[in-house]
Amino acid sequence: VQLHDILLRMTRGDAVASDLDLLQEMCELLRETSLCGLGQTAPNPVLSTLKYFRQEYEAHIHDRVCPAGQCEIGVQAVEGGRP
Amino acid sequence: VSVRTLEIDGKSVTGLPEQTIFDVAWENGIKIPRMCHIGGVSNIGACRLCLVEIEGRRKLQAACMTKVEEGMVVHTSTDRLRAFRRLLVELLFAERNHVCSVCVMNGACELQDMATELGIDHVRLRYQFPPIQVDNSHERFGMDQNRCVLCTRCVRVCDEVEGAHTWDIAGRGANSRVISDLGEAWGASDSCTSCGKCVQVCPTGALFVKGKTVAEMRKDRGFLKYIVTAREKHQWVR
Repeated sequence: VQLHDILLRMTRGDAVASDLDLLQEMCELLRETSLCGLGQTAPNPVLSTLKYFRQEYEAHIHDRVCPAGQCEIGVQAVEGGRP
Repeated sequence: VSVRTLEIDGKSVTGLPEQTIFDVAWENGIKIPRMCHIGGVSNIGACRLCLVEIEGRRKLQAACMTKVEEGMVVHTSTDRLRAFRRLLVELLFAERNHVCSVCVMNGACELQDMATELGIDHVRLRYQFPPIQVDNSHERFGMDQNRCVLCTRCVRVCDEVEGAHTWDIAGRGANSRVISDLGEAWGASDSCTSCGKCVQVCPTGALFVKGKTVAEMRKDRGFLKYIVTAREKHQWVR
């Protein structure tokens, strides 16, 4: 629920820099502490993208831009940018 | 009886083969945090707060579920474990509406104590604020699920010690709720014997005795030990 909340905020351009660390920490928590195989592997896609596409996450946060054009905020920078 | 010798946090300790790491650690003054474990009922290893590192094992193990073995080397409080525990407790806080200042258990709450111990001064996560009803239908007790951490101590004590099994969990994940019987009001429950064991084992103020105001409620955790010991020694016949 919490992971989804952060990712959703990313796509809307509402995320802040600390969210990235929190996202990483929570994925690791889920992977290490889960009892079953589902919990242990479920965060893997998020962790992989954090590892290989970190600059895209950073673009969402700092420039409020989605380089891949998949999110609500779009490829173009939002006018005015971050207040 | 063969005794197992192991090392916990650099301290050499001994335990019986059927004992868990958790029990042996507490006997030796090493307090592993816990939320779902309580002496006298079965362990489920659900809260994940008692997770420990055991050398030679890739995964973290729940101390309350792992039996001691000869030559184990256990670490209970590494930086990594403390970070995990902190986030786990933050998740518990964010999941329900925990407001210590208006809670009957303020000052004696296990969740509150845990947060203090782990140095949690704020929660980094977004609160979920689930809309939850309070069940005050029972004549002597009340239930406020806003304060529930789903440790299921009440479920287990009701089933295993009292034998009534009034409580159980409905729903999954974030939608899990403790319910009495088949989701009826607690006061309307046929199986409840009003023994109050669930109230005494509840780590937070989710189950409370009516008539207590803020920070007045104190719980007696020792009673369970008497019952279980007496039963083991057959001090009464059922």
